[in-house]
Amino acid sequence: MSEFDAALGGFLISALRSSTPLLWVLLGEILTQRVAVVNLGVEGQMLAGALAGFAATLATGNPWIGLIAGVAAGMALSSLHGLLCVGLKANPFASGLAVWMLGFGLSSFYGIPFVGQKINGFKSMPLGFLERIPVIGTLVTQITPTVAMGILASPLLGWWLYRTRTGLSFRAVGESLSSAKALGLKTAWVQVMGIMAGGAFSGMGGAALSVDYTRNWVEGMTQGRGLVAVGLVIVARWNPYLAIPAALLFGGAEALTLRMQTSGVPISSHLLHTLPYLASLAVLVLSYSRANKEGGTPAGLSAVFSQSQ
Amino acid sequence: MIVPLIKEPPKPAALFKQPFRIPGLTVIAAALGFLLLGSIFFLMVGQPPVATFWAMIKGAFGDGYSLSETLVKTAPILLCGIAAALPARLGLISVGGEGQLYFGALFGTGLVLAIPGAPMYAMLPLMLAASAAGGALWALIPAFLKARMNVNETITTLLLNYVASLFVDFLVYGPWKDPNNLGWPATINFPAAAKLPALFGTRAHIGLIFGLIAAVALYVLTARTRWGTCLRLLRSNRRVAEGIGLSYGRQAILVVCLGGMLAGLAGICETSAIQGRLQSGISNGMGFSGFLVAWMAGGDFLRIIPLSLLLGGLLASGDSLQLFAGLPSSAALVLQGVLFASVLAAGSLKARKGGDRV
Amino acid sequence: MGLVKKILLSVACMSLAVAVAHGAGTKVGYIYVGPKSDYGYNYAMDQGRLYVEKNMPGVKTVSFENVPENAEVERVMERMIKSGCTIIFPTSYGYLDPALNVAKKYPKVTFMHGGGFKTAPNLGTFFAGIDDAMYLAGITAGSMTKTKKLGFLAAHPIPQVLRNINAFTRGAQSVDPAITTTVVWTGTWSDPGKEAEAANSLVDAGADVLTGHVDSPITYTQTAEKRGVMAVGYHADASKFAPKGWLVGAAWNWGPMMAKIVKSVQDSTWKPEHIRGDLMAGDAGLTAFGPSVPAKVKDLVLAKEKEFKAGKTKLWTGPIVKQDGAEIAPKGTELAMANLEGMDFFVKGVVGTVK
Repeated sequence: MSEFDAALGGFLISALRSSTPLLWVLLGEILTQRVAVVNLGVEGQMLAGALAGFAATLATGNPWIGLIAGVAAGMALSSLHGLLCVGLKANPFASGLAVWMLGFGLSSFYGIPFVGQKINGFKSMPLGFLERIPVIGTLVTQITPTVAMGILASPLLGWWLYRTRTGLSFRAVGESLSSAKALGLKTAWVQVMGIMAGGAFSGMGGAALSVDYTRNWVEGMTQGRGLVAVGLVIVARWNPYLAIPAALLFGGAEALTLRMQTSGVPISSHLLHTLPYLASLAVLVLSYSRANKEGGTPAGLSAVFSQSQ
Repeated sequence: MIVPLIKEPPKPAALFKQPFRIPGLTVIAAALGFLLLGSIFFLMVGQPPVATFWAMIKGAFGDGYSLSETLVKTAPILLCGIAAALPARLGLISVGGEGQLYFGALFGTGLVLAIPGAPMYAMLPLMLAASAAGGALWALIPAFLKARMNVNETITTLLLNYVASLFVDFLVYGPWKDPNNLGWPATINFPAAAKLPALFGTRAHIGLIFGLIAAVALYVLTARTRWGTCLRLLRSNRRVAEGIGLSYGRQAILVVCLGGMLAGLAGICETSAIQGRLQSGISNGMGFSGFLVAWMAGGDFLRIIPLSLLLGGLLASGDSLQLFAGLPSSAALVLQGVLFASVLAAGSLKARKGGDRV
Repeated sequence: MGLVKKILLSVACMSLAVAVAHGAGTKVGYIYVGPKSDYGYNYAMDQGRLYVEKNMPGVKTVSFENVPENAEVERVMERMIKSGCTIIFPTSYGYLDPALNVAKKYPKVTFMHGGGFKTAPNLGTFFAGIDDAMYLAGITAGSMTKTKKLGFLAAHPIPQVLRNINAFTRGAQSVDPAITTTVVWTGTWSDPGKEAEAANSLVDAGADVLTGHVDSPITYTQTAEKRGVMAVGYHADASKFAPKGWLVGAAWNWGPMMAKIVKSVQDSTWKPEHIRGDLMAGDAGLTAFGPSVPAKVKDLVLAKEKEFKAGKTKLWTGPIVKQDGAEIAPKGTELAMANLEGMDFFVKGVVGTVK
């Protein structure tokens, strides 16, 4: 395998790895925003998922159970958001911030005994001949279950959202609460489902970070990834199919800033670290300028709703 | 297969238009909810609830020193709260307080570094003006993108926050680093002429006055003037408003940049009055605290004042949880979350009972 | 400083007994920049606090975590003083100037700042030359590396971090001058995700020994093990996270020094000075070696450790050449104290930028 192939493969897997926690949260927040709710609490839900995942893996020795625990913890915390902003019709931004603080505070508080503990992550999967292909070989030997599952989850979720009845009900609620109600949908129920689904995915994102990616628990370890994911939803245009490129844009830029440093580029590391944010901003602006040129009103699926309007 | 893009789901901004009232009964309900949930938390972690709450209240308002420290915290929250509430008048959700605060600090500091020998009567006004300009300039990017290309302002302000704080890091670790401070990443200490006046000989500073003036002025301006009517009209029915000649884009730039100015002022106040020099991490998350307060207050400028004071008190009294109860710092965060959840729930319950919600 | 070392060694063991006689009613406040359960810098400091509390009857301690390195800490210090603390340990580098402000206001309270280089009538500083240990770890890494490339992931370019990077590199170069150390800045003391990725990129760039200076050594040590390369720890012993690849680590032991400081305040023998512990006093030292380190390498390292302890060798003796080739300390001279405490350069052989 040539040095170039190894470097390219190394960069690709590195970009995928850093994007994966983001991707899970992004997919979850897409679902939540599809039912017309914004949840800034995903940051706290990620932390809850990260701690629960780590603790469950430590207790059982099985990282799969850790992932399940992470999902459950994320869902549990998100139900508070559902209660506040759907049940009690509270302001979703303020409610999300309250959920964020609770998730951050509770996970830090109850996470103390888990600092410095060792868990066993997933075992590497033997893939035989695949490992000998250039570039792809580097990729597959380092790929881990949460990365692979994230890559699969994105198109599955896209298919579900655009091609199934329940997906349709999500979109209907998101397009117009009143017409969805007129269609006979239990809109509050669908909204809570959307929020809880977002909770499950963000919990998974947190668990992916602690159980698989770093095998470590540190308080506040998500470091703003949840909040960035809320922003990336707009880059992904609320479309699960576009979640992978959106997450890769940010995660890839982050991986690139670290890799550029290893080659000794004489640029301030602080300026280099702005790259993921500026890249996301640039793509966002470009996508808006293109959308405007095309009239900004994509046809297609919105036609489904036009019958009911 | 590529699925065509769907049009944006309805903005949750619609939810902000609902009236938000906190009459006396709601305050009591919120307080009871907070005390109950907080007590449960204290009992769970083995602390006596009454004594712990009492220690917190004393830590926030118990004596002159505690009160002044609460006011130190209140000032930037108040300014950043208004900086978030003003754009909300046009239905804009700006989370850019952090970045604008950093850029205000950066511009103000730049001026101080440029004319370190200037006398106070020239230095202070120029420094404040520069910081306001810095905050406004940083706000201009998302404002312009919104006005001209309709780019979502929430994500642009969010992303620019990180860029601004990293840019300050770049300056204080690099070109602006004080060479005589043994490698510590910060600028030189501000000359005495660049120190904003303190209040009553405490650390509380004039930024608080700026915040109060801004809150009252904006309350009057938006409630009583044609400009306020214009904003309301643009938010409630943009098409009609534009039909009679109002410009959404111009007003969007105006409110976001005005907010940026206030957050920028908060930045230089922290830098000059509290910190005494520019360094990394000066915001302590005040931009986000301001955002939270703005939404808790339902965008009402006057209501932001007591809520900022409440949050400022909670942040300053979080100390006592560590000092007297020996709890980890996260306990204060849990309590904050409990408080806001209680306030939100109580506010909503009341609104429901009153039947003023759809 | 030489004097201090001797006092430290002799008094540390006696402090326990004497404390019983004198130690009534002293309250000591500790302030940490991160969580005290970070398995790193703050954890080590907190272990020192627990040592003081356990071994000095009558001494009470309070601790305050997650306090940012800005004017926030002034309020925390004032609160501690108001609650009765007469000795305060602001343990993070960035607390220095705020501590000086508060010290001026409360002349009767004693402040012992961790790692600074300024004093006031009631403010002294304490630290330990862990860079000696990093140099020894560098010798170990330099003896074990096959690619002649070492990887260092670090949070922020401040003097203490730069000292460790340079000490580690000089140690490795004492084995083979061709060895280079590649530095990646993560920009934050604690972000395991970024640390994992920084470690991976260092491995991909050819480094076969990783070390770092971030809050906790766990993430990069584990990542190194996963990628089949070696790891050198920092702050705390992380050997269990890399059973195969663990070489050695540099770790703190603050307890005895802190107890001695508290004791000197109680006895009114305290003076505002820069107390710098070291290998000899046992304030900072090497952890146990990993199983992969051969006896030959261990002997080499331990021989050098002996020289340091005996004061025969000084770590920062020239020639010291900066990254760009300029000589900052000629042969036979020692690096100036200001250059050491305020280090702002890389030595030759480090790949990266200090800005």
